[in-house]
Amino acid sequence: MSVPTAAERTFQGVRRADDAVGVRNNVLVLPSVICSHIVADRIAANVDGAVSTPHDHGCAQLGADNDQTWRTFLSLAENPNVAGTVVVGLGCEEIQSDDVATALESRDVPVRELSIQGVGGTDECVARGVEFASELAESRPTEASTADLGDLTLGIVSSDLDATTREVADPLVGEVAHAVVEAGGRVVAAGNERVTAHPAAAREATAGDARDALDDLLDRHEGHPSRASGVGRVAREHAFEDVTRSWGGLDVSAVRPYGDPVGIDEGLALVDAPSRFAEATTGLAAAGANVVLHATGDGVLTGHPLVPVVKVTGDERTAAALPDDVDIDATATDADDVLDYLLDVADGQECCAEAHGLTEFAITRVGPSM
Amino acid sequence: MNGTFDGYRRPDGRVGVRNYVAVIPTSVAAAAVATAVADEGGAWARATPHQLGTSQPDAARRQTERVLVGIGQNPNVGGALVVELGTEDIDAAALADRIAADGTTVETLTIRETGGTEAALDEGETRLHRLNDEIKGARREEADVAELVFGVECGGSDATSGIAANPGVGAACDRLVDAGGTACFSETPEFIGAEHILADRCVDDETRRRLLDRVEAREGMAELMGVDLRGAQPTPGNQEGGLTTIEEKSLGAIAKGGTTPVRGIVDYGETLPVGGGLVLMDTPGYDVESVVGKVAGGAQVVAFTTGRGSTTGNPIAPVIKVTGNPKTWAKMSNNMDVNAGTVFDGESIDSVGERVFETLVDVADGRQTESERRRLEEFAINEIQPEELTTGVDA
Amino acid sequence: MKGRVLDDTLLLLSDDDNVGTAVDDLDEGTALDYDGRSVVVAEDVPFGHKVALEPLAPGDEVRKYGEIIGTATQSVERGEWVHTHNCESTRGRGDQAAAGGERA
Repeated sequence: MSVPTAAERTFQGVRRADDAVGVRNNVLVLPSVICSHIVADRIAANVDGAVSTPHDHGCAQLGADNDQTWRTFLSLAENPNVAGTVVVGLGCEEIQSDDVATALESRDVPVRELSIQGVGGTDECVARGVEFASELAESRPTEASTADLGDLTLGIVSSDLDATTREVADPLVGEVAHAVVEAGGRVVAAGNERVTAHPAAAREATAGDARDALDDLLDRHEGHPSRASGVGRVAREHAFEDVTRSWGGLDVSAVRPYGDPVGIDEGLALVDAPSRFAEATTGLAAAGANVVLHATGDGVLTGHPLVPVVKVTGDERTAAALPDDVDIDATATDADDVLDYLLDVADGQECCAEAHGLTEFAITRVGPSM
Repeated sequence: MNGTFDGYRRPDGRVGVRNYVAVIPTSVAAAAVATAVADEGGAWARATPHQLGTSQPDAARRQTERVLVGIGQNPNVGGALVVELGTEDIDAAALADRIAADGTTVETLTIRETGGTEAALDEGETRLHRLNDEIKGARREEADVAELVFGVECGGSDATSGIAANPGVGAACDRLVDAGGTACFSETPEFIGAEHILADRCVDDETRRRLLDRVEAREGMAELMGVDLRGAQPTPGNQEGGLTTIEEKSLGAIAKGGTTPVRGIVDYGETLPVGGGLVLMDTPGYDVESVVGKVAGGAQVVAFTTGRGSTTGNPIAPVIKVTGNPKTWAKMSNNMDVNAGTVFDGESIDSVGERVFETLVDVADGRQTESERRRLEEFAINEIQPEELTTGVDA
Repeated sequence: MKGRVLDDTLLLLSDDDNVGTAVDDLDEGTALDYDGRSVVVAEDVPFGHKVALEPLAPGDEVRKYGEIIGTATQSVERGEWVHTHNCESTRGRGDQAAAGGERA
């Protein structure tokens, strides 16, 4: 495989304290519980440069399920696309907004915190939250930093395993993933159904020191149907190689629990996330992805508040049906073009999902509501 | 005290207290479009976005469908727009047919077929307004309180919940049941500790057995997560607040349903009978999911007791917030509707119940609650988790 | 449920109850009338906590909401604070479960 010229291109990003490069520079308004998500949305809507991550969680979760939500919150606030975080709570929930804020402060993340019950109601909370978010927006770093392909942490998710995804979109994604890693970057992949369907093959594809983590993942899913049941079914019906072409033939260097950072400086990491677009992309963003490539036969068109999501389809009918929502028609594009496009997006160009602005955010559950 | 209100008589005979066009996504993939479409309408347009997947294991999918149908058929909904991407397991046309079976006016929107996001938003707005044009002329007529299905919930509880707000709301439930209506409470994990007492109040063995089975199932789910719900209660915080035993805590929660016999127990999102007396619904304790379950069951109004000040509402049914904590009433007055903390100044529980009942009738008659006024409309559907399904085979 | 407040001091949720719940932080010595009988609060009792309206012998039922919420573990005088030190659950005791005892 020849090295694409994209490897020599640069883009202007924002370098964070840990040297990770953000391709966006937003203030995150993070509701720590479902009950504060409308307030969080209203705060973000009123502040230029702020985004919110409304979700249905943070309450009535136990044990590992609660812990996963907690870890995801912390990791999201550390995503390189995030300039600072306003944590908004209700006050009586299990995951307390001030605990989240304290944890973030200890990790040197610019943060403010408030709760609906603490300030005395939703109206007051929106008003104060807007003040906090504005403060953080004003103190965002403005200096652009020159970066290149190797500064990308490319998140990849295929939310279905349709024939066109398997045969057209995934292979293209795989070439792109390979190029990013060649350039010194990282790739984080979602889609645990592929490994639970083929444990032995997955172990073969995983580097030695990541095998324990892979076994942990397999244990967690033992005996349970896949959350994305359609993908699970297809993964079982096909060979491992046929459903992992998006990994570009790369070895899996790390296997990470959902909500944890990627943990490697280069190479391919697998995140324990189901192939449900919104949940998977959140898992990828938590891992540190600064841009996401989403292979979709169906044409799932929503973006994500924290990362630009580039949509690629291998299905001509989908590309024709949704021309303004699909960035890449994999039947008519090569890897070089995709890499150029990714770098354009990293440089500030809006992808299709950013242009229409509809986003979806969700966190994977690992237990029943209480 | 008036035993009537003005409501919207629907084709199936049930009476709504509001006249909404509901915009219902079949999956998370259509949720953002559904919300954006509803935003193009006035306060009469209500989206019900949720996070459930485009393909779920069968049992989980059936529960999702039951809830979506129940929401579309809630008597507060005059018309519904079902929105899908077009490739999900849950088919919008099939869902629309199920909703329309009770006479609700329904249309569908398939995002894939419109040409994309922008086109879907345009087409959605057109269909939304068309639906509203059809239903907005609905006339209200006088209806008896017996036509009300009153959902009750508790969340953000504290030491005052079990002794003031819950008994107060319970007294209102007694009043409504006495007048021929239906009162429904849920949150099965909260029955743990007093489930035998609740079982004794069931009118027949079938109901008794189902109740105890459901409590056992919920307790088992917690054990899956490594938590002994029974042994952990009351918590240290509860004990500091005055709760001595799990029975006491559970009775304090159950008090919100009143003292009448338990006539039945239904599944999450299953239709609640009109004129059914006190009926339970098996739901998690998780507030938003629990309220959604009762609204999917047909509850037109919900009372939600909260000591610490939960501010959540619901897009389809007005939620009346009742607090028994005087500090919360004072501090969060913009989000609370009824003060039950007057019990600590000597007001009787019955008298508080009267005020809750009056509020129920006023709200049924059109008065907006604080959460309605602020459009606080949280919505989430309980998903049966893979960990609760024992087969390893994908359905 | 009748739920009435006795003398601005104790909330009686049901006439079948033998405990009342403090509607304020109560000082030792506070006296109240309970349907013609006098009850004197025997010690400081915090808001939301319970006071015995009748004397209780060990094993006697403690009643609130018209139902049994526990049993007395020692003798309790009228007016005494009732809580975890002298009242135990009749079902699902956490400490028994932890020690391997039977769950009700």
